[in-house]
Amino acid sequence: MTTPIFRTAVASLSVLALTAGAALAQTVGPSGDTATPSTEVTVSDDQAAALAGQGLTAALLWHDQSDFVNAVTAGATDEFTRLGIEVVATTSAAFDSAQQLADVETAMALQPSIILSLPLDPVAAAAAFRPAAEAGVSLVFLSNLPADFVHEVDYAAIVTDDLFEMGKQAADVLAEAIGGEGEVGWIFHDATYYVTNQRDNAFKTTIEADYPGISIVAEAGIADPARAEEIVNAMLLQNPGLDGIYVTWAGPAEGALAALRGMGNTDTKIVTLDLSEPIALDMVRGGNVVGIVADEAYELGRAMAAAGVLHHLMEEVPPFIIAPALTVTADNVAEGWQQSLRRDAPSSVLDAAN
Amino acid sequence: MTPVLSLRNIHKTFGGITAIEDFSLDLHAGEVVALVGDNGAGKSTLIKIISGVHPPTSGEILLDGEPASIPDASIARERGIEVVYQDLALADQQPVYMNLFLGREPVKGPLRLLDRRRMIAETESLIKELDVRIPSVRATIRDLSGGQRQGVAIARATHWATKLVLLDEPTAALGVAETARVEATITALKARNLAILIISHSLDQVFRLSDRICVLRRGQQIGVRDTAQTDKNEVIAMITGLT
Amino acid sequence: MTAALPNRAVLQGLIVYAGFVLIFVFFSVMLWDRGFLTTTNLSNIVLQTAPATIMAFGLVFVLSAGEIDLSFGAIVALAAIVAATVMREYHWSIGLAAGIGTGALAGAVNGAIVAWARLPSFLVTLATMGIVAGLAREISNLQSIPVTQSTFIAIFGGGRLFGIPSLVLWTLAALVIGHIAYRETRFGAHVRAVGDNPRAALVSGIRVTRIRLAVLTLSGACAGFAGILYAGRVQSARYTLGESDLMTVIAAVIVGGTLLTGGRGSIPGALVGSLMMGMLSNGLILMGLSVSWQMMIKGLIVLVAVAVSLREPAR
Repeated sequence: MTTPIFRTAVASLSVLALTAGAALAQTVGPSGDTATPSTEVTVSDDQAAALAGQGLTAALLWHDQSDFVNAVTAGATDEFTRLGIEVVATTSAAFDSAQQLADVETAMALQPSIILSLPLDPVAAAAAFRPAAEAGVSLVFLSNLPADFVHEVDYAAIVTDDLFEMGKQAADVLAEAIGGEGEVGWIFHDATYYVTNQRDNAFKTTIEADYPGISIVAEAGIADPARAEEIVNAMLLQNPGLDGIYVTWAGPAEGALAALRGMGNTDTKIVTLDLSEPIALDMVRGGNVVGIVADEAYELGRAMAAAGVLHHLMEEVPPFIIAPALTVTADNVAEGWQQSLRRDAPSSVLDAAN
Repeated sequence: MTPVLSLRNIHKTFGGITAIEDFSLDLHAGEVVALVGDNGAGKSTLIKIISGVHPPTSGEILLDGEPASIPDASIARERGIEVVYQDLALADQQPVYMNLFLGREPVKGPLRLLDRRRMIAETESLIKELDVRIPSVRATIRDLSGGQRQGVAIARATHWATKLVLLDEPTAALGVAETARVEATITALKARNLAILIISHSLDQVFRLSDRICVLRRGQQIGVRDTAQTDKNEVIAMITGLT
Repeated sequence: MTAALPNRAVLQGLIVYAGFVLIFVFFSVMLWDRGFLTTTNLSNIVLQTAPATIMAFGLVFVLSAGEIDLSFGAIVALAAIVAATVMREYHWSIGLAAGIGTGALAGAVNGAIVAWARLPSFLVTLATMGIVAGLAREISNLQSIPVTQSTFIAIFGGGRLFGIPSLVLWTLAALVIGHIAYRETRFGAHVRAVGDNPRAALVSGIRVTRIRLAVLTLSGACAGFAGILYAGRVQSARYTLGESDLMTVIAAVIVGGTLLTGGRGSIPGALVGSLMMGMLSNGLILMGLSVSWQMMIKGLIVLVAVAVSLREPAR
């Protein structure tokens, strides 16, 4: 996967839903579970002490490899290490549910106490994870849930990004940059991908509900990120006075930026989602980009690990946990990178920021 | 005695260009006839006509005195005519015995499985009879020398031919010792009462092996001589047209 | 000089077995306390590789005939999706036939184009890989199709007969049938001859065109059956099934002593090659390596294995 956007964008990812309408704007879990912020899911020192010497182990069975997965892995691994738990296996199924089944089987040979995973496909994952659930392994799932799995009995928790909050924060940062008034363009992901769809719609809903002075005058769907440049060119040709553009994720945002630069436009603001070096560089140099909304992937991994441990300790774990969204601007780019991915921002970005 | 193969007034043209003009020849069992001539004289075309690759434009082919048509290579094989091609047409990765039965493998049992024992036994006895010296009939072709490969190709043709074996430049790529071995093998074929038609550029070889010599020049049949009653000078003169 | 040579092919054929034993011993020592040697884990390796092994058997015929098939991975998904879709409405046996039939049909299309149009199979199957993968996405609408017929799941997935997992039995059956067809029938001999020297095969009366059609059809049918086994194992069918197997299966077949250039191959070698690839993935995961390191080490070992099994000794 070249674009981080597809990291959780599994076609069958359907267990999560946003409540209908703009009034109740928040992310809710399957069976209508309300979201618990990830910061509330922690392992206390007393609980950590209870774990000492138990020799617990964990396996991380991911769906794919990406920046996002690396950050989640780092968050989970650090938390496990703090609690004296060894990560005994890490796998990537490359979006193949047969491979995921094989990975679960292989990992089970190590008899892990906790498994963190993104189930690729509810039906196939139900068959894959059932033996682990029956063997008493504490299962924590990322974003998706195997079919017919019951909270506490079969799994500890689902942890995911706060997708609605990401789209909302993108709307907020763009609105602030253009002074709460003006005309904006909305470039959304024109495909049935849960993650992008939710984020894109949250942006639109927020602008319409919270910013009466701003109107979305141009909309364009994008399926192929490589075509972003021509789409933005066309959009600006028809709407030369656009104050801002929302672009669904960083890949096409790079194309949008190229279009603006090509026509010498320094006025139209861009906001997009997911950290990317070229986008951040433009932002810290005072270019068109005014903000990037990221998720806290590291925190997400930490929360998954903590949820698994709490479940193993027979503590109550909320069924549906969300990791916060994070707005990164030129002012907090170094901290933002740390907070999201728990690693230094690219040196080009840091140099330009200083 | 009825000739095994008779060619009567064979003409062959390719799009108006005459390749063979009025060629007639009788081949008898147990004799070796050499076909000589310069490059482009029509030797290969003649081989292709006899082996069923090209039909003649006009003329008659008789097998055992009966008029016959040889529309394709498999009919030629069915009629007992085998060709040893210049490139030998051997499958390099396969063992000798599989090559000997290539395309005609015997099978046994209800599952029609390969009868390897029979193939190996028949190959061994044939190799012995023709005195082709190879390490083993189980050896792979690619592990054999050029002469050994030629020996295998000739043995294969011999095994399947009932009437005629056509040899196209059988020793062109071989050294002296290997040429001698292959010539010994060809001589051994005569004992099997087959007619043999050999194309060769080496007149020394032609005089060592053949009973008769047939000369072609630019598609025309210059003449046929008994090897015992001619000499190299006469044959060279016939080939070149210079007297 | 020549007398020692026949042994060489035999020795090269044995390399895969030696490599298998070597890797097995290595993991047994390194992972003695990490579950590698448990019966469950070892049986997992066999079960996980069963579909890839079936694909590998088909590919042995294709490579031996001097052709290549790049589309079998995509055919796996299409066949599984067709089978699962048919089984929503009909008896599982009809789904089974539809799945294998779909594979055979896709393979026959490859074969027909390669045999009659004489286009290189590399390009033909590269193109059909895309077409078949697209078709699998289109007819499944990118959705996963559940397989719920318990008899089907037992026979082709998690069931057992006399205590032996069904996938092991299928692998063994395919091994015996495949080996006999490859080594002991005229068809197998003709496949090797066509890959070895097509002209020699042609002048020997072998129907070269028919052989080319047959091997690619066979490969498609094997891919179809692999799709059935995946559908039984995962209890669902999805367009991603089999896609990641392409390189693994080609590597397994080459390591197992089948020449990329045609004329020589081995069905038992392909089985051992496939098990070796499965064992590698399994062992590297159990060692607790990161995914990137698993990929690099696996690639390196495959490179060494292929180099050793293909290298021509000095003559």
